[in-house]
Amino acid sequence: MRVSLYVSADTWLHRLDPMTKLLMAATGVTLTFILTRTESAAVLLAIFLAALGTGRVLRQAASVFAGVGIVAATFLIVQGLVHPTNATPLIALGPVVLYTEGLLIGLRLALRLYNILSATLILVLATNPADLTEALVRRGAPARLGYVIMSVLQIIPTMVAQSAAITDAQRSRGMETEGSLWTRAKAFLPLMGPLVTSSLIATEERALALEVRGFGSTVRPTFLRAETRPPHAVPVRILCVLTLALGATGRWVLGW
Amino acid sequence: MSAVIEARSVHFHYTPGVPVLTGVTLSLGPGATAIIGQNGAGKSTFVRLLNGLLKPVSGSILVNGADTRSLTVASLARTVGLVFQNPSDQLFKSRVIDEVTFGPLNLGFSREEAEERAREALAQVGLHGVETRNPYDLGLAERKLVTIASVLAMGTSALIFDEPTIAQDYAGVRRLGKIVDELTAAGRTVIVISHDMDFVARHCHRVVVFSRGRVLADGDAASVFSRPDILQQAALEAPQIARLAHALSMDQTPLTPEQFVDLVRRRLSGSS
Repeated sequence: MRVSLYVSADTWLHRLDPMTKLLMAATGVTLTFILTRTESAAVLLAIFLAALGTGRVLRQAASVFAGVGIVAATFLIVQGLVHPTNATPLIALGPVVLYTEGLLIGLRLALRLYNILSATLILVLATNPADLTEALVRRGAPARLGYVIMSVLQIIPTMVAQSAAITDAQRSRGMETEGSLWTRAKAFLPLMGPLVTSSLIATEERALALEVRGFGSTVRPTFLRAETRPPHAVPVRILCVLTLALGATGRWVLGW
Repeated sequence: MSAVIEARSVHFHYTPGVPVLTGVTLSLGPGATAIIGQNGAGKSTFVRLLNGLLKPVSGSILVNGADTRSLTVASLARTVGLVFQNPSDQLFKSRVIDEVTFGPLNLGFSREEAEERAREALAQVGLHGVETRNPYDLGLAERKLVTIASVLAMGTSALIFDEPTIAQDYAGVRRLGKIVDELTAAGRTVIVISHDMDFVARHCHRVVVFSRGRVLADGDAASVFSRPDILQQAALEAPQIARLAHALSMDQTPLTPEQFVDLVRRRLSGSS
């Protein structure tokens, strides 16, 4: 069972050390908030997609994008319908009118959503969670913080796998889960409670298992693997800092 | 009430180019059949094909003559019950009684009938007074018994047990053996996947050996366990009592200590 969204591959992105990828993700998220115009958001998204594409994780990112598509669509519809600046009707379906102003604002929000997601996916899809945790702890982060990060990266795929296993067991005992959306929803909704409960139980058991193996020790741990940083990590880091500076200058000096 | 399941030249893979089953042909009818083999031999995948959770890539599975491709898993559940290896993959209700009545209710039994079946099934596996407890508050062995009861309560004509003896103590193993014997006596089709060769030898009349996705041997328990070459090829070992008999060059393969004692007595009385 896969325990994170990490996709193993040998690309420039995968070869980067975790801290550089963390810097890339942080730069991406920060720029998303600094550059608020629609055009800037579109350029940022193109850069993120290029990074994901050349890192050969675009296909996996696309399934995550599809998953949040309903949120992006909600932005467009709600803003298009009810934003206070709405003045120019674009589409009219009977009494329902979508306005240009609101749709543009919805588009900007959707782009920002996808930008944050893409920046995060650069880190999540191309970084082994264990490597990231170790890199952080190596730099003095509390082991507990590293564990929290790793748990967050693991919990969704773990719950998806658990939900698939329980659904198989339900189907084997006569529950109809194939067919319409309503049939599938009826089968899935009752799973939510037990899934959360079993996750909490698993978390408690894992915490106990960690403690009995010296997790709470105050001694600085030894690291099994030597940290390596590829030659292209330095230029990538410099590029991140320069891009961040350029973004800040553009926003507050040049009025982007 | 019996079921006949036929696998006809079944091929299956999860990832193209990495075959899991390669041309499995088997007919499974009333009685207890054990499917044995090393980890990764394709046993669990094979039984998931029998109740329609997986569909063959090529070949077909027929349950009482009907192709599993044309049926939903829910409809096949009326005929084929499957107890999963890991209880955590099956349990999802907050009370044991709700978990055990889940199957019968899906099959259309009334609440009263479902509860009666659930209580009978719980008694059959030796669980008493746990009806209102949360399955996750029970130990692993008891959770496994709850999953077995939840399938027994459905009263299907074919039952598949994936590693039923996991985590069970001696009494638990004996009780499960008794359940398999009773189901067999009632004419049900029972399929047991197990690494517990003593359990297989005692309770399963037929043994099918899987190795690398195909059937390596298929026959009655004594004939299969008397073939160390086949067992070695499948990275398996015969039950201890069969190995002892083989080491003593006995001409027959006993499957239980009782059979062994009987053979020794007969040999002794023949020589005196």
